[in-house]
Amino acid sequence: MTTLAEPDLGNGRNKPIFNNTTGFSTLITVTVLLLAWLAGFASRLFAVIRFESIIHEFDPWFNYRSTAYMVQHGFYNFLNWFDERAWYPLGRIVGGTVYPGLMITSGSIHWLLHALNIPIHIRDICVFLAPVFSGLTAISTYLLTAELWSRGAGLFAACFIAIVPGYSSRSVAGSYDNEGIAIFALQLTYFLWLRSLKTGSVFWSICTAISYFYMVSAWGGYVFIINLIPLHVFALLIMGRFSQRLFVSYSVFYIVGLLLSMQIPFVGFQPIRTSEHMAASGVFALLMAVGALQYLHSLNPKGQWKKLLIVGGLMAAGLVFLMVVFLTYIGVIAPWSGRFYSLWDTAYAKIHIPIIASVSEHQPTTWSSFFFDLHVLVCTFPVGLWYCVKNINDERVFVTLYALSAVYFAGVMVRLMLTLTPVVCVLSGIAFSILLDLLLRDDDLPTAPVEPNDKNLYDKAGKVKKRAPEPTSQADFGLGMNVRSGALIAFMILLMLFSVHCTWATSNAYSSPSIVLASYGNDGSRKILDDFREAYGWLSQNTAEDARIMSWWDYGYQIAGMGNRTTLVDNNTWNNSHIALVGKAMASNETAAYDIMTMLDVDYVLVIFGGAIGYSGDDINKFIWMVRIAEGEHPKDIHEADYFTEKGEYRVDSEASKTMLNCLMYKLSYYRYDSGGSPPGYDRTRGALPGNRGFKLTYLEEAYTTEHWLVRIYRLFEMFITSVPTDSVVYDFLTVLAKRIENFMMIAAGCGSRLS
Amino acid sequence: MMPAMAQLQFCVLFLVYVATQCTSTNVDTVSSGINIKNVDRTIDISSQLVKITSKVTLENTGKSPVKNFLLAVEGTGKAKLAFIGTKDGNNKDLRNVETDVKGNDDAKFWRVDLKESINAGSTASVVVETVYTKALQPYPTSITQQEEQLVKYLGNLYFYSPYPVSSQKTNVILNTKAVETFTKVKPFLQLDGSISYGPYSNTAAFTEKELVVHYKNNSPFLTVTRLERLIEVSHWGNIAIEETIEVEHTGAKLKGPFSRYDYQQDHHSGPASVRSYKTLLPASASDVYYRDTNGNISTSNMRVKKDSVELDLRPRYPLFGGWRSHYTLGYNVPSYEYLYYSGNEYLLKMRAVDHVFDDMQIDELITKVILPEGTTNIKANFPFAVTRLPDSLHYTYLDTKGRPVITFTKTNIVENHIQDFQLRYSFPRILMLQEPLLVVGFLYTLFLCVIIYVRLDFSIHKSEHPHKD
Amino acid sequence: MSLEIESMVRYASPINPAVFPHLTMLLLGIGIFFTAWFFVYEVTSTKISRDLFKELLLSLVAALFSGFGILFLLLWVGIYV
Repeated sequence: MTTLAEPDLGNGRNKPIFNNTTGFSTLITVTVLLLAWLAGFASRLFAVIRFESIIHEFDPWFNYRSTAYMVQHGFYNFLNWFDERAWYPLGRIVGGTVYPGLMITSGSIHWLLHALNIPIHIRDICVFLAPVFSGLTAISTYLLTAELWSRGAGLFAACFIAIVPGYSSRSVAGSYDNEGIAIFALQLTYFLWLRSLKTGSVFWSICTAISYFYMVSAWGGYVFIINLIPLHVFALLIMGRFSQRLFVSYSVFYIVGLLLSMQIPFVGFQPIRTSEHMAASGVFALLMAVGALQYLHSLNPKGQWKKLLIVGGLMAAGLVFLMVVFLTYIGVIAPWSGRFYSLWDTAYAKIHIPIIASVSEHQPTTWSSFFFDLHVLVCTFPVGLWYCVKNINDERVFVTLYALSAVYFAGVMVRLMLTLTPVVCVLSGIAFSILLDLLLRDDDLPTAPVEPNDKNLYDKAGKVKKRAPEPTSQADFGLGMNVRSGALIAFMILLMLFSVHCTWATSNAYSSPSIVLASYGNDGSRKILDDFREAYGWLSQNTAEDARIMSWWDYGYQIAGMGNRTTLVDNNTWNNSHIALVGKAMASNETAAYDIMTMLDVDYVLVIFGGAIGYSGDDINKFIWMVRIAEGEHPKDIHEADYFTEKGEYRVDSEASKTMLNCLMYKLSYYRYDSGGSPPGYDRTRGALPGNRGFKLTYLEEAYTTEHWLVRIYRLFEMFITSVPTDSVVYDFLTVLAKRIENFMMIAAGCGSRLS
Repeated sequence: MMPAMAQLQFCVLFLVYVATQCTSTNVDTVSSGINIKNVDRTIDISSQLVKITSKVTLENTGKSPVKNFLLAVEGTGKAKLAFIGTKDGNNKDLRNVETDVKGNDDAKFWRVDLKESINAGSTASVVVETVYTKALQPYPTSITQQEEQLVKYLGNLYFYSPYPVSSQKTNVILNTKAVETFTKVKPFLQLDGSISYGPYSNTAAFTEKELVVHYKNNSPFLTVTRLERLIEVSHWGNIAIEETIEVEHTGAKLKGPFSRYDYQQDHHSGPASVRSYKTLLPASASDVYYRDTNGNISTSNMRVKKDSVELDLRPRYPLFGGWRSHYTLGYNVPSYEYLYYSGNEYLLKMRAVDHVFDDMQIDELITKVILPEGTTNIKANFPFAVTRLPDSLHYTYLDTKGRPVITFTKTNIVENHIQDFQLRYSFPRILMLQEPLLVVGFLYTLFLCVIIYVRLDFSIHKSEHPHKD
Repeated sequence: MSLEIESMVRYASPINPAVFPHLTMLLLGIGIFFTAWFFVYEVTSTKISRDLFKELLLSLVAALFSGFGILFLLLWVGIYV
């Protein structure tokens, strides 16, 4: 029944009965969208209110540092920036390995505000960018859903996406990451695509291409768009829904979008050389073929050539596919990259690329996280999907494909819940709008159409027929008052529970800055553990300007951003061998580690140790991944099994294996750790007393440890003997002798100064 | 009525007299008619500063009344001198003017003008206060975490003066019993926490004799290497003050490792390290914030007292020798405490530098005062010698032309420099309306843009009216 | 120079800071009302029915109240401009 789909809320087609209906409905729409923006903004502010306006986590620190660099040095210097303070001694070409959309957005806002003499610091702009863009995402979701269904559904969808935890988890204030603006660009591109498909106008296709360009600059997930839209076109071709509008909109979008996407230095020539982008090219070729055949068919519309059309179409499709496979085989087109291939073959990453497998966000999604992130929407979105399929048209094919592919990807990786959330909100908005329509519809129906017909009834007997269908149509929707009001109340309660859950989830699970920890005492008083900033502040003030810090790659961006020092490896993880070398240094004994560290020119070593306060994200817990990554590159020197006990357990107490008790990471974590509860030296995180205690370090000394022992920084000694073979007894003896002489000289100097 | 020639002669003579008087303010000669009868000196070296208070009894041995006398500081100490001040017998401040004396280029001299001149044969007493910075050398220069900090003081055993001194006594206050070595010139007496020298009689003018004391001093040796003080005046009733402070521990450097275990378990570990210090803010200070480039520093306590606000500041990490830290401290004070007006003329009376911690020493101070947009006719008056840098402009909310900024700088500052400076300017009150009217104008242009946009027509062809969605 | 200080009075703000919140709410409320009225007028009127004078007057009043409301909002929040 298409009557359900027809909107009657002032889209201009109906002549309004009262003059101001259009005005007031637009006013209400604008008011609701503004309130949705406000609600989305406000629900993301928990971390700022509880702590302060600060950049969270790890990745946002790199984005913030790049944005600060761009604001300070200008846009062209940012594009050409070679960062020698990361990945020492390799450096990193930042301009060519980053998606600049985020930095450009913040930089432009900063430039505009400062031109108006509003002196907001770049850090505040970065912190609040994601909440502001969440409001814009709500507006673009409204436009998308209005395009698909109706304005009412659009308003529902906008309100849902403003507060849903699946989206707000990646866009809280302080989480300055690509996803904050990418989801807005995604929804906008999809809305513009549907609009251009509906109207077939070149103007809207160009708008789509420009919005796609913004998406490419913002996030690596643009690959999703450039595969979904061709899939949509392909599905329409198969369903026999080819039309001139489709032809115009896709060809303009593809060509202009391709050219624009290649302007981003990081993307470069990938759209014409990698497998991930081949679907778009293939479909383009196919569309051209089908269009040509259709044109030939239109010259002779009697249908003689219909068979030719179908056969020709199939042949063209087969030919295109074979071309792509052939080009991939001979190497012109690169095969699927590891990151995307692991979406299809989920066991691939664990064996071949352990770094990807070690990230917690890349694990498969559990059922509980579906509910936690989407609450009631996960139940209502199949309803919306079914209605879309039942009332199919060009746009609804798209949303069906989007929903199916998003559900698959969300099941593979927790991180991709983010791409599922917009489509779930859209379809749930449609479902709720249909439900509301159903429940409230009867109030409108009996009034207007009945009155004028009544008058005519007595004049012309023929008119009686018109009245007959009405009672039957009323019987179809025969919902009694009680059912309607009961359903309405249940529906209201459901929505209220949804918003309560969203706020609770955002507040409890997703609003932790993770560089500031807080613990709550028995009387509710709050104790702030600011160890990370304490350590990074110490580093930035009390080490040499060009000091090199070695730590695990997790903390690289934070050290560079807050401590302003050169790091060896960071969260970009582009060079696996360099990370493996650091892992090997951490996993070897002190002598072997010292060789690696002097080779890498390290001045300080930084480890995170949570045993004094029970912090579970510390380096000893991550250690086994360091071993695995090191073993991947140095299988002869490092064996994962050495670090477990005979029974295969991972322990740190006296039962632990000898290799474990003597490796550098163990020693640096537990050096002189003799406080921390009863008995002294107890490791609260592992719940055990360390097996190796009271040892001395030969090549390092403790430079600084923070108040709660969370961050420990060590300084390397400079040794004089470097030309003796490192695995000889002579070398060991000479190094220990040199150290003893040095110590004696220090003591002698101290005594001498006391005496004078 | 004098004849014209006589008038001209008189003028010339008057001008010559004035000229000689002017030049003679820079060069003085040591008067032979002044003798110092007695000096009672207290050298307080219990903190990081050297504070010398001398009670000087002057005697006029000449024939004419003495209106002023000279003070001198040794050549070795003049670079470290931060403050010199004189008070007379009634505890009133006397004026010091820096001057030169022919033949003594090494030392530094001040001429002090007395309120009442000393008649021939009579005496007068003054109190001279001098403060030296960086005069205590840590010796040994680096210590481990457990060791105590020992410093060496090099000074003058006698009161350095251009006049002969009949009798003098010196009391060196150490506040510690652990003294390694000290100069032994009889008569001297070592007590608990102080050493007293003297009385020494009949010392000639300009005598110097080395006084060395090597002792334990664990008081905080913190130097503020740079203090930038920003005062923003708003005529809506508020003055915002922000201080950016870089502080360094200039005592004996830390040698070897820093052990967190020792520091936590042993209360006496790191005796010379600085854990926290107290800053005093003006009594009406509110909205205090304490942060650095990485964000808010939560380890601080604020107590509102009767005549000040006491802030107990703890840096992110304890400061050992050679360690540095920096932070920003800001607060608001209401304008009626410091701003006065009469018609369109305004007068701002504020402290040039404020209290950072007790016995502070600041290497470089830069004070900037931001006045509202449109102020003119700015005149500044300082209580001590400062270098005034050229005025600049500052742009902030709702500014078009920019706000004038008065900048001045000074080096080597101690607590005695916490004094008010005065700033006069004119500001027509009607200019305050510029701010809301700017916002109104901006919003009105936005509305005008909407009005114009609604009247535009972008359609390409008129055959079918597209429905406005 | 300091002898003038006796003739000078302490400077206090022309508007009592305790009143800033109330003024903000009042002025911004009226401003938003007029803005909404202007918006509805723009959406509902057609090319023929539009009256330039009414538009200009409405937007002027809205801009006036909103502008002063924003100023007092800035002062209330602590940005003493």
